[in-house]
Amino acid sequence: MNKLAQQWFEQQQWKPYPFQEQTWRAIASGKSGLLNAPTGFGKTFAIWFGVLEHYAKQAEKKKRKGLHCLWITPLRALSKEIEAATNRVSGDLHLPYRIGLRTGDTSTKERDKQKKDSPEALITTPESVQLMLAQKGYADLFKNLEFVVVDEWHELLGSKRGVQMELALSRLRTINPKLKVWGISATIGHLEQAKEILLSGVPDSVMIRAKLEKKLEIETILPDTLERFPWAGHLGIKLADKIFPIIDNSNATLLFTNTRSQAEIWYQRILDLRPDLAGLIALHHGSLGEDIRKWVENALHEGILKAVVCTSSLDLGVDFRPVDTVIQIGSAKGVARFIQRAGRSGHYPGAVSKIYFLPTHSLEIVEGPALRYAIKHNQIESRIPYIRSFDVLMQYLVTLAVSNGFHADEIFEEIKQTHCFHSITRDEFNECLLYITQGGKLLTAYDEFHKVVLENGVYKVTSKRVAMRHRLSIGTIVSDAMMQVVFMRGKRLGSIEEWFISRLNPGDHFWFAGRNLELVMVKDLKAFVRAGKKKTGVIPSWQGGRMPLSSYLSEAIRHELNEYYSGRQKDVELQFLQPLFDLQAERSYLPKENELLIEKIKTKEGCHVFIYPFEGRFVHEGMAAIIAHRIAQIRPFSFSIAMNDYGFELLSDQDIPIEAALNEGLFAPERLSEDVMKSINTTEMARRRFREIAAIAGLVFSGYPGKQVKTKHLQASAQLFFNVFEDFEKNNLLLRQAYEEVFDFQLEIARMQTAFQRINDHRIVLQYPERPTPFSFPIFAERFREKYSNESVEDRIRKMAAALETPNP
Amino acid sequence: MNIVLHGNTFRLLPEKALFWEEYGLMIIADLHLGKAMHFRKAGIPMPELSALKDYENLNALIGVYHPEQICFLGDLFHSNYNTEWRLFETFIEQNPHVHFSLIKGNHDILKDEHYEALGIELIDDQLALGNVILSHIPITHPPEGNINISGHLHPGCVLRGLGRQSVKLPCFVYYRNTFLLPAFGHLTGLHVVQQIGAVYYAIAGDRIVMM
Repeated sequence: MNKLAQQWFEQQQWKPYPFQEQTWRAIASGKSGLLNAPTGFGKTFAIWFGVLEHYAKQAEKKKRKGLHCLWITPLRALSKEIEAATNRVSGDLHLPYRIGLRTGDTSTKERDKQKKDSPEALITTPESVQLMLAQKGYADLFKNLEFVVVDEWHELLGSKRGVQMELALSRLRTINPKLKVWGISATIGHLEQAKEILLSGVPDSVMIRAKLEKKLEIETILPDTLERFPWAGHLGIKLADKIFPIIDNSNATLLFTNTRSQAEIWYQRILDLRPDLAGLIALHHGSLGEDIRKWVENALHEGILKAVVCTSSLDLGVDFRPVDTVIQIGSAKGVARFIQRAGRSGHYPGAVSKIYFLPTHSLEIVEGPALRYAIKHNQIESRIPYIRSFDVLMQYLVTLAVSNGFHADEIFEEIKQTHCFHSITRDEFNECLLYITQGGKLLTAYDEFHKVVLENGVYKVTSKRVAMRHRLSIGTIVSDAMMQVVFMRGKRLGSIEEWFISRLNPGDHFWFAGRNLELVMVKDLKAFVRAGKKKTGVIPSWQGGRMPLSSYLSEAIRHELNEYYSGRQKDVELQFLQPLFDLQAERSYLPKENELLIEKIKTKEGCHVFIYPFEGRFVHEGMAAIIAHRIAQIRPFSFSIAMNDYGFELLSDQDIPIEAALNEGLFAPERLSEDVMKSINTTEMARRRFREIAAIAGLVFSGYPGKQVKTKHLQASAQLFFNVFEDFEKNNLLLRQAYEEVFDFQLEIARMQTAFQRINDHRIVLQYPERPTPFSFPIFAERFREKYSNESVEDRIRKMAAALETPNP
Repeated sequence: MNIVLHGNTFRLLPEKALFWEEYGLMIIADLHLGKAMHFRKAGIPMPELSALKDYENLNALIGVYHPEQICFLGDLFHSNYNTEWRLFETFIEQNPHVHFSLIKGNHDILKDEHYEALGIELIDDQLALGNVILSHIPITHPPEGNINISGHLHPGCVLRGLGRQSVKLPCFVYYRNTFLLPAFGHLTGLHVVQQIGAVYYAIAGDRIVMM
């Protein structure tokens, strides 16, 4: 038994869970591992007392000073929570074990202090670890490091921040080969792999799973009458009335929305309908200023708030004890995410997590029973890890060059141990080196590329300016140029994408942070505002937030649609949807599980073909491009493409010969990758992916934070780089990465292959409805569109005849 | 395509230049030469070969139209001195029969002596030829009866058609007493210009389409 834990748990009058004792034993025996436990059961203490005990034993033998444990979390808010909890233990037990915070918020003064006399533990983020690696003499700081704990590893895993973590660990393991690494993860589809990736190359590691089932109850909020034409976005807000009884009867409620603008709209709507809730409800999303978010989190803790409208900004992190109810507005898009959100309520052991699902259009109602089905059958998504992320590698190499410099052979051996770069060849690695030293292959004698230099076998950065610019751009989260929103007196509200502000004129009103604001002026990347008195105004719509439906959830939806036919006992949601299905059947057809429905409709806009594979937005995006490409083999075509999670639409100015195309095997799974390549070359997917890659690899520098951009002469869009590479350096490593990422993450190529195979066995039902159907209507109304064209620009323009975008008068 | 501006006839070229045959004058805006090397010098890996493309285009233009003079409407060299200047020197030396002049733009920070050594005439702000005023940045209110020809903006326009099609193209823009040139350099972006009552001459491959 862990003595410190025993003492402390007795003080608290708590009894440890078996998984905690198991973890203490594993750590005591010097093992690394992955801990899988739900929140609210003391998973932090399961690891923490292991770390403390190790330190105590070590201290008995000899006095070793310096950093002993790094605790890494994906969120700053979480770091503070961990800091408070662990400090409490040190205080209660009078331990000489100090804990410091090291995040983007930590002041330079504090950082210097930590450098001179390091606390025993630092709570930090993946980015801050990279920044520490960019400091001269980092090896000294880490030489006595014994533990790295990666909290919420499932959150980092499927992102480039996970790659950053893998790289940092490869370095730290060389500095101390006996380093012990522990991960903490929620339940995901492939825990074993998650462990392998974190502990890549560690021979003797354990998996500890807490066998604590949390009870989950899902209730769908149904409208009084069924809207037979589901129009995305409209239904949700109409149901606002229905949530008040829920809020009133709960202690505290979290309302999760999928986008920030949706959160803003809901917040306003609630206040409009229930002015008495003013002061009792709050808004929380990622664009709001740190101060505001902190205030909301504290108020939630203290039980001051009745409800908070939030986005994924509150998916993770701190437990808010008063919260006992969660409402999910709109599709959660995935089973894991839904469970995660549901878990934000009922935090004490044994409590039931109650979650209400509020659909935003009628078709979405079917997701209620679909979620229940998926959870019952334990179909929880995996996170696809990134592999071969050369952008992150290049950033990492420059990071090492900025601090101590590095030897190529040594680093190559280290990174080959990671999951991400397991398959990297020496040639590819050399290409990365070439890239950071001379900007790629050299062809002319006139060159003065300057970044990393090779001196006596050591790669290093000698220019202070290069070093500073690099430190400022460490990170893998790429956002649009942001503008701070500030009151005239100086209070910061948060930040909005620059392009939104640039569309407004002084005097215009807009909604942000739940307030009506009037734009006064724009100066130095700050938008100065004052409180507006109008009731109208634009709401910023932020880019992103277009998550695709996961494969498990779409499978569950197809299953539920089929259930509808089976005549077996139906969920209340499916009974409710009956009139919609009836109308679909009347105007067109209602497909069964082994059928694929296609609808062809002509309007004055042109010829529309709707196809409904129910496979999620991303798969539809790729599928639509392939189908468009295959049809365009008959004769040159230009299509505009719209999609949602249920289906997609091809729209063209000329008649689409879908009948002929079907006869020629439109859905044949053969030659799929070939057609993908061809159609991707003509779509813009890789170009969009490249934006992030260019920023991470250091091609695009977005300027110094908070300062007016004085580096404008060094600014070029990722788009420009993409074009230039396409023209002059087709085999560029980063360009290839963009295409690979499109395949793995955007098209979800593996999933698409399966979908084509599935559909190929299906009976295809082609219908010619005269009017839009319940299925087609929401896609029809999508404003966001993709393009596919294999006509020449000249031909397209000739046909566009009358139509120049008219300037706003 | 020919266009008459305040009594002067100009030829709009799909190569993104304006030719004034009466003077044998080729007008070219926003080349942003030296940009590739400028980026490389700062440690940003712009492919090296991309620097050569603009010279190829310039030489092709001279080969076809044989201008006597070429006037650069600003933003000629996007940098302090860097090694790419040597490419530009070679280009100037290869064309001894052409008189070159530059109206300085906001990116032209290179020292005058470099231009002077090559015999390039430097103009600080604007150049008036009859009722035609050449400048880098568009003049806010050109005097009545005059036409201002300028660059700086890298104008582009969005065309839309049936079936919700759209395409973004570089273009010449004509409104009130102002005529804008597209950026000639290929390492430049597009800025969508929306002006009430403007006429757009979009560059679609090797054709010009009037809108």
